[in-house]
Amino acid sequence: MARTELLIRPLVQLSGITKSFYGVRANQSVDFSLAGGEIHALLGENGAGKSTLMNVLTGLYQPDSGCIAIEGHARRIDSPAAAIEAGIGMVHQHFKLVSAFTVAENIHLGWNETPFRAPAALLEARTAALSRRFGLAVRPSARVGEISAGEQQRVEILRVLARGARILILDEPTAVLTPPEVAILFAALRAFRAQGNAVILISHKLGEVLEIADRVTVMRAGRSIETCAAQGASRASLARLIMGDTSLPPMQESGRAVADDAAVRIELRGVTVRDHRGIALLDNVDLQVRAGEVLGVAGVAGNGQRALSEILTGNLRPDSGTVLLDGQAVAHPTPRRFARHGIGHIPEDRLRTALAADLSLAENAVLREYDRSPVARGPLFVPGRARALAVRIIDDAQLDRRDPSLPARNLSGGNQQRLVAQREARIADRVLVAAYPTRGLDIGAVASLHAAMHRLCARGIGVVLISEEIEELLDHADRIAVLFAGRIAGILPASDAESERLGLLMSGQALVPDAPDRDPGRAA
Amino acid sequence: MRTYTVQRVPSVSGRVRTGATLLSCLASVLAAGLLLALLGLHPAALGLQVLHQSLANRYGLEDLALLAAPLAMCGLSVSLMLRVGLWNIGADGQFFVGAAGAAWIGLYGPSWSTLPMLALMGAASMTAGAAWIAVPALARLILGTSEIITTLLLNFVARLGIDWLVTGPWRDRASSVTAQSPRLPVAIPKLPRDWHLGGMHWGLAVVLALACVLALAFRFTRWGYELRICGANRNAASYAGMAVNRRLLEAMLLAGAVAGLGGMLELAGTVHRLQSGLSNGYGYVGIIVAVLAASSPLGVVVTGVLMALVLNAGTVLQTQGVPSSAAVALVGLILLSAAVGERLANYRLQRIPPAPRPGQAA
Amino acid sequence: MTLLSGLLGNALLSGGVLALAGMGELLAERVGVLNLGVEGLMALGAVSAVITVASTHDAGLGVAASLAVGAIAGGVFAIATVLARASQVLCGMALTMGGLGLAATIGRPFAGQPSAATFRPMPIPLLDQMPVLGDALFRQSLPVYLAYLVLPLALHLLLFRTRHGLTLRAIGENPAACDAVGIRVLPLRFAYVVLGAALSASAGAYLTLGFVPSWSDGVTAGRGWIAVSLVIFAGYRPWRIVAGALLFGLVNALGYLAQARNWGVPSAFLSMLPYLVTLLFMIVPALLSRGRPGATAPAALGLPYYRDQR
Repeated sequence: MARTELLIRPLVQLSGITKSFYGVRANQSVDFSLAGGEIHALLGENGAGKSTLMNVLTGLYQPDSGCIAIEGHARRIDSPAAAIEAGIGMVHQHFKLVSAFTVAENIHLGWNETPFRAPAALLEARTAALSRRFGLAVRPSARVGEISAGEQQRVEILRVLARGARILILDEPTAVLTPPEVAILFAALRAFRAQGNAVILISHKLGEVLEIADRVTVMRAGRSIETCAAQGASRASLARLIMGDTSLPPMQESGRAVADDAAVRIELRGVTVRDHRGIALLDNVDLQVRAGEVLGVAGVAGNGQRALSEILTGNLRPDSGTVLLDGQAVAHPTPRRFARHGIGHIPEDRLRTALAADLSLAENAVLREYDRSPVARGPLFVPGRARALAVRIIDDAQLDRRDPSLPARNLSGGNQQRLVAQREARIADRVLVAAYPTRGLDIGAVASLHAAMHRLCARGIGVVLISEEIEELLDHADRIAVLFAGRIAGILPASDAESERLGLLMSGQALVPDAPDRDPGRAA
Repeated sequence: MRTYTVQRVPSVSGRVRTGATLLSCLASVLAAGLLLALLGLHPAALGLQVLHQSLANRYGLEDLALLAAPLAMCGLSVSLMLRVGLWNIGADGQFFVGAAGAAWIGLYGPSWSTLPMLALMGAASMTAGAAWIAVPALARLILGTSEIITTLLLNFVARLGIDWLVTGPWRDRASSVTAQSPRLPVAIPKLPRDWHLGGMHWGLAVVLALACVLALAFRFTRWGYELRICGANRNAASYAGMAVNRRLLEAMLLAGAVAGLGGMLELAGTVHRLQSGLSNGYGYVGIIVAVLAASSPLGVVVTGVLMALVLNAGTVLQTQGVPSSAAVALVGLILLSAAVGERLANYRLQRIPPAPRPGQAA
Repeated sequence: MTLLSGLLGNALLSGGVLALAGMGELLAERVGVLNLGVEGLMALGAVSAVITVASTHDAGLGVAASLAVGAIAGGVFAIATVLARASQVLCGMALTMGGLGLAATIGRPFAGQPSAATFRPMPIPLLDQMPVLGDALFRQSLPVYLAYLVLPLALHLLLFRTRHGLTLRAIGENPAACDAVGIRVLPLRFAYVVLGAALSASAGAYLTLGFVPSWSDGVTAGRGWIAVSLVIFAGYRPWRIVAGALLFGLVNALGYLAQARNWGVPSAFLSMLPYLVTLLFMIVPALLSRGRPGATAPAALGLPYYRDQR
């Protein structure tokens, strides 16, 4: 049970919150209390019930039972408007901003202090004033779709603070930030706390939690398991609480020096890719993926990772430069050609790109092998064999739903990711390109995915691991390339890399002058 | 405290969805019956009369089959495009130009014997139908222009074009009727008299064969699998290396060709002259035929017959002094309920389990 | 000069139908609902106006009836699409078929008869004395001024100059973002779909009381569909919709002129013009601006909103 013997009256008290969806209990008698002047971290695996609890607090869901008290008074929060009224504001992981609108318009959206007549100039002036008052730098007239993720986050925070929030909920706020931006955010949160306000911080990054939180509450399987002071807790103790009894597979060796003469599987030479506006997504990139190595790609999201993974898998054609597969230049790259060559691809947005959510698991599982034997016979498609193959893939992926005729939509995010990972690992005879493969996975699933990655390496397959978590890269990559603004800011062996140095590279504050020992020997 | 709540489940099986859709269609037909009762008619008697006239004797059955055939062809056309997630609202226009293409061969083409002639007419109708959808198809693929509106606009153009043909250059000058072409020299032969549907032409067999071929192609070819993936998620299809635009173009052109062939069957099998009344909004009814069948080709044959019954009800109503346009309204009502029913299939009345006492194990 | 004046006057009059229907559709689309039932709504509005004036001899009441009937039909459509979240394409087609069928059924006794009351011209003093333009532009009836000046101005100010307009546009772009800041998405969507439907239906009243003016089956002749396309290529902006409507009016008027003067073009081809011109407008501007993002549709157009997306 929660130990919440606070002497002061809590700012927020949730008692006995229960909420179920189609028979599954997402929250089960959850108690949670938040004191004024604290930063309270909420931890737990995906599906542990954190989001549901926060959606109850912000009025998006109505609990089946339980009650909410704000400053000691019971309060019905039956709509997002009521939550805002009660001084609760949330900054979502996927920002809830209208990207076609300007910053000023987003700030004033649905706000009862917005003047009835609302010309752009007035809104922008008001936004500028708010920006100064709360010390959050934003450009009022910029379109949200064209500003960086960090600035979008400031817009969301500013919007919440402008409405007089005293309780700020942040869901994975640092995922899109560079290390310096994280420091700025944390400073702002501490200032907010100093005024007697409170912050609920949802995060997977335990180091960060220990750095900034005062107290920590851990949820597991819809229940609140434990609330404790952050002081005295450790990463290991928190991980144990989050995981429960399940044990982690042993960690793999990493940072091995892969022999310089290992075969180069994919090579990019001076590759440049531009978007429809002519802006370079990748700018003169040179990169080699060698057999049997894990090549980590670090960088803040949006610095060219998507283009890089698409170039490496034939989904995108370079505007200039060459892509070589096993030393052969590819004149007309296509995804099919790369797949045939043995290059698997776990894309960053699996639901948008890698799965057809409305189709069955069987149809999704054979997506990469439908055109080869045994599923295909000439132009024919043999449903029986497709199903047999699908059952095997589903078994190997250890999904929790095994019925191959079930729509892929019914899987949880983590299980969808496992299905994609298993499917891609099967065709990856030479290289596996994995963009944020651990996103949305539990700690246990992350460990087994990393283990699978190292097994591929042991078979001589090159793995490209694109991630924004420096710790993941340091733990598992052999070399780390840092992407900044579409360029390779540097390539370091993982054994030499430290997180500060990587952080500087990621924010474009330092450039490694083409580490000469790693420079590709230009022999075709 | 509430103990029941309505909850949405993320997905339901095809069977549940089809069941819910058909149930709500039935409900809408009952509601229409209620309306008729309020107007002082006897809906039950009318319903029986419709069934009796359509199913009880061979003439009724023939008429039903004659009506179901073009509906099924248009339904197949719409469902082909639904496979790849696109709407063909223009089956009506493709039907007309298909008929016009066939009529052109029939009236002004070579004078071969019946079978080669029919084959040539079929080819001409399919070419015309495919050509008619080509502009919307290319606009969709290259520019992203909504195919819904472009295919629909061409329906008006096609109808006006037929009007012009049959009142102008192709008008039958030997007849006193001012808006039809001369009678075609060839016709699709009838089925043998001693068959149950004797009197119906061989076009019916073409419809059934086409439905079977499409059903097999969808299920047992790589092409069918690719169409399915393209329809469900275009990004995933191109990620998997499929030629997405090509598959979409094929589906669209084929849809136009199928609707065009439907026009040829109607012309050469049933009507024998090109005229403005050749299609009684079959292309539009085809949308609901395809939707009710969840775009399954074999299902389209069944729902085609069902919708033919509904249209027959309009004819029966006409004898009772209700305008035949009431049937169009009824089709609209059925379509609305089908659309709503399909979505309501996702909702369940859920009992909220009583909250466990604190400390109780899960 | 009477030729030019007549042409302009006729263009203005016939374009008004599209302007009204288009602005109705604009309201629905701006809050994210694609209403393909405009054609059916127009037919219902047209027939209810004719029936109303047959017994009341009051054109104003006829318009009121069309607004009311349009609101009811729009309410049914909104229940299906906004609340039950059924496919907007299917429900729109259903509204078109149902509306056309119902209108033809109840309108049969009135078919072909001239409307019992029509809009009265309302000359604007002084301006109507202008040469050429006076006759064409300033001796029109009140609904024409409403359709070309008052309504677009009102909609423009509402959408782009007020807090409420900001909310409406945001609902069409990103309903989840609106929900998060406490905007009640579904009630507002519902309200504006109903309002838009009423406006589209009033285009039908305008047709049978001001332009044709009589009811017959098929009198709407695809104008509802042209209005839907008009909204798209007008980039979802009220003033451009009105300008586009006027352009179509001109195409129409030229058709009539050609027919009246017997220019030797078969009438079927003249009747095709509006559809072909619409098609052209759907395709050519997009062709010219390839690669450059032009005026884009509201991002959430056509998508039902669920709070618990999964």
